[in-house]
Amino acid sequence: MRVAQGGDPRAFELLYDRHGGAAFSLAYRMVGTRAVAEDIVQEAFLSIWRSKVRYERERGSVRTWVLGIVHHRTIDALRRHLVHERRRASAEGIEERLDSGELTDVEAVRREEAREVRAALSALPGEQSRVIELAYYGGFTHTQIAELLGEPVGTVKGRMRLGLEKMRRELTGATA
Amino acid sequence: MSRDHQEYEENVGAYLLGALPELEAEVFERHLETCSGCRRELEQLRVASEALPRAVEPVLPPPELKEALMKTVWAEAAEREEARPKRRWALPRLTPAFAAAAAACVLAIGIGIGIGVSQIGGGGGKTVAALVDHSRAPSGAASLHVPGNKQNALLMVQGLPNPGPGKVYEVWVQRGGQMQPAGALFSVGSGGSGSAGIPGSLKGAEAVAVTAERDGGALKPTQMPVLTVKLS
Repeated sequence: MRVAQGGDPRAFELLYDRHGGAAFSLAYRMVGTRAVAEDIVQEAFLSIWRSKVRYERERGSVRTWVLGIVHHRTIDALRRHLVHERRRASAEGIEERLDSGELTDVEAVRREEAREVRAALSALPGEQSRVIELAYYGGFTHTQIAELLGEPVGTVKGRMRLGLEKMRRELTGATA
Repeated sequence: MSRDHQEYEENVGAYLLGALPELEAEVFERHLETCSGCRRELEQLRVASEALPRAVEPVLPPPELKEALMKTVWAEAAEREEARPKRRWALPRLTPAFAAAAAACVLAIGIGIGIGVSQIGGGGGKTVAALVDHSRAPSGAASLHVPGNKQNALLMVQGLPNPGPGKVYEVWVQRGGQMQPAGALFSVGSGGSGSAGIPGSLKGAEAVAVTAERDGGALKPTQMPVLTVKLS
């Protein structure tokens, strides 16, 4: 698809319609509050609209690109000042998850992909999946994770690398 | 592969997961420029890190998020358009539809009311220029963007006078000849520019109109519209 950056609002709207849900889901998973997730997604999409970030086709799909921007912005937000906000996540409890009745074919495929990724994550040794989840979804730095777990930084970084390598093999069917 | 590869290779996973602090990430990126070994590993492991967002449980974003986002986008698009030497809505395309609408408008509204209609189609949605009462808004112009599904249209105005103390502009939707509140109020900035998202659907609507009403809005228009967008 054409990527709307500072051009046609209708093309931009299409971009949001296709990827806004996944972007919001990721931000919400990371910060745990709808209001903060909304702010992050709005900022991320506006940065795309205002062409502050550019899509490079060789770096993968548009969806991956959009989610990468959202992930970076969410991490920035978490590290700047929102770390404590997200601790209230569990108190909010007004999630509107998609139920199976609302699934389109595309969404059904994505559900299946999600299952595969979760399976690959849960197949990892606990200490590897823990550091990956704390880093990617929690927005913690390697030093923060090392402090949380009482492990050396080198060990934490090693587990991240090993865990990703195992996930890669699981997802692509590659052998070691 | 660079000489300091061993020193940095453990950072590949942390970098992909966003776990390197900003400064360390920048240092690692500089290292990547010279280290083919780290670049190769990075590309291999990217498959795994880029799969992580797909594991997230889908949660519906609120419709207000898109409304707010598109409101800003349309307003900025209008500003850019305004900054160009020629204003699109100052020079509506003269089409048979325009001529017919203009003629109908003269009959319906009479002398003293400026007229301009243009439709910019494509992508299922359309943008319709408004008929502006130039006796009250001499430099006024407005357009309504109606998405293909007719949901959450966006009205953009420019050159409208301040509605007056304690007043705001209120948007109305005409159906069956009756004006109903659209649930959208707006004010204008120093240049008379403003915008309003119209919640809900415009299916079956004959027109969208704007009047100046007391702050908080009214249940029925208390004056003739300062602008009208004909939809049927």
